[in-house]
Amino acid sequence: MKLSSLRSVTTEAKLLLIGIPLLIWTLLPIYHLFLFSISPKESAFSGKLWPDHPTLHNFAVVFKQEHYYLQHFWQQLWNSLLIAVATGALTLFIATGAAFAISRLKVMGGRMVMNLALFTYFIPAAFLAVPMYRTMGLYGLLNNQWALILAMVTIATPYSIWVLKQASDQLPVELDEAAVIDGASPMQLFRLVYIPLMAPSLVAIGTYALLLAWNEYLYAFLLLSKDTDVTLPVALGNFLAADDSPWELLMTTGLIYALPPAAIYYVFKRYMVSGLTAGAVKN
Amino acid sequence: MASVAIRDVRKSFGAAAVIHGVDVTITDGEFVVLVGPSGCGKSTLLRMIAGLENITSGAISIGGRVVNDLPPKERDVAMVFQNYALYPHMTVAANMAFSMKLRGAPKDETEKRVNRAAEILGLLQLLERYPRQLSGGQRQRVAMGRAIVRDPQVFLFDEPLSNLDAKLRVQMRTEIKELHLKLKTTTVYVTHDQIEAMTMADKIVVMHDGLVEQIGAPLELYDRPRNLFVAGFIGSPAMNFLKGVVRANGKLEFERPDGSRLPLAAAPSGSDGRKAIYGVRPEHFVLAESGADAIIQVVEPTGSEIQVVAKLGAEEITAVFRERHQFKPGDKIRLMTDPRLVHLFDESSGQRLIA
Repeated sequence: MKLSSLRSVTTEAKLLLIGIPLLIWTLLPIYHLFLFSISPKESAFSGKLWPDHPTLHNFAVVFKQEHYYLQHFWQQLWNSLLIAVATGALTLFIATGAAFAISRLKVMGGRMVMNLALFTYFIPAAFLAVPMYRTMGLYGLLNNQWALILAMVTIATPYSIWVLKQASDQLPVELDEAAVIDGASPMQLFRLVYIPLMAPSLVAIGTYALLLAWNEYLYAFLLLSKDTDVTLPVALGNFLAADDSPWELLMTTGLIYALPPAAIYYVFKRYMVSGLTAGAVKN
Repeated sequence: MASVAIRDVRKSFGAAAVIHGVDVTITDGEFVVLVGPSGCGKSTLLRMIAGLENITSGAISIGGRVVNDLPPKERDVAMVFQNYALYPHMTVAANMAFSMKLRGAPKDETEKRVNRAAEILGLLQLLERYPRQLSGGQRQRVAMGRAIVRDPQVFLFDEPLSNLDAKLRVQMRTEIKELHLKLKTTTVYVTHDQIEAMTMADKIVVMHDGLVEQIGAPLELYDRPRNLFVAGFIGSPAMNFLKGVVRANGKLEFERPDGSRLPLAAAPSGSDGRKAIYGVRPEHFVLAESGADAIIQVVEPTGSEIQVVAKLGAEEITAVFRERHQFKPGDKIRLMTDPRLVHLFDESSGQRLIA
């Protein structure tokens, strides 16, 4: 065997040695989810790699809301969806406008906004949960879904502004100048030139904010209390309150809940890397 | 179609002054080229005409109207950029129609204008393509088409051919010139390439370090450069500069440091003993028995002529011959100049000395 191909085989073997365990480690919890969701209640904890009698009964229970903890499954799923989409849309709206203003219109204080945005991430979101609770209380927004939406937008927006601003900087200035000479007002420039060219980044950021809200537990738990208002993760948390939690139903619901994000990522996979890394390296 | 008047225009970026008082008059329908080395301020001046840069002081008028405070939209100018600046997410037709769409112009009017521009530029087959599917020359034509559709008072070109390969550049030069002859729109063209300036301009403005060195027709700048900079910038290969002293007692001659003499036809009175620079264009050297000795260093045949670098005494010069001589490096030749065709410049100021 030639030396170079031997070397490449060795390299590949080393990478596989690292990669395969990592893959198994990552997929194990997901497989666990799947395993529990197709196992009947009695044999769920048996420790077998594949159930003796795989069943879809759990899915039926979840979809028909037949368990006490799953009474409002569809309502809660809808809440999750609503809040996630609202968060994504609002974050996009704010961050796109901010990025355009800072990058293209070069407003005063742009740099300060960028620095302040980064600054907000010095404090972990978990630390801010109680102050956020108090703030929402002051505004009378507790138990209102808007509280969660606004909280998530607050957390998602600084990063979004950063990424969109960096991506905007990649757009050649000559395009703006050509449009201005063609007679474009700032709004026309924004609508007809800027947004179409920023599309990949907008998709990436919108997805990021949406999934951030979709997966949020702590803030949803704190800010919402009524069973019909909460999101699905919070409802799932309630599963663990009892002594005999129905683990197989918990896992089934979890699996169902994980499907939309997977689908979104798959549909937009083309944009995810390019959208988030646009502007990372000067080309 | 309009005249452009630039009156004592100055530009500073913060504390750094880049343009120090420029006066240029462009008449209606003229093709004016702003030429100069990188950093001389020509692009900045063009952008000030367009409205993309503020004017620190002075006035720019288009069609008799002072436009200092008008945004680009209201100046009725169209610009062709060095790297085309085409909207990548729009087709060729949409790119060209963009300005009309912004104005809310009726669809049939837009279509008529776009088709007319496409026809002039040979773009009719490409209207539904996207910029990424076009070659460099095609993209540049689309950029020009976008400007033509505007039907502006003034065309502004910012080094449009710099990104094209040499052969395409020559072809596009002719196309732009033909376009100007057809449309007769006032054009201001910026380039660092003096050949583009010479072949395309009605009038050339040579700029250097934020100042205008000379304004004139191409041949005027070629035959009577006002100073050393213009003399060395216009013309390729560049003019040869020989150091020495004017001798005006008895016979009028130019004496070089090594004692050899070159003929002069005229000099300002009282020049005897004056330090000066003797300028000879490469094509004005002739082979003559009575000429000065020179040793050939390098021979560069281009096909249509032979460029020769030779040592004339202590200084190196470039000479150009149309005839096919059999030169080799190391050959000894004798070179003579025609006193009516030489140039004389003051050594310290660089200004032209012969009228």
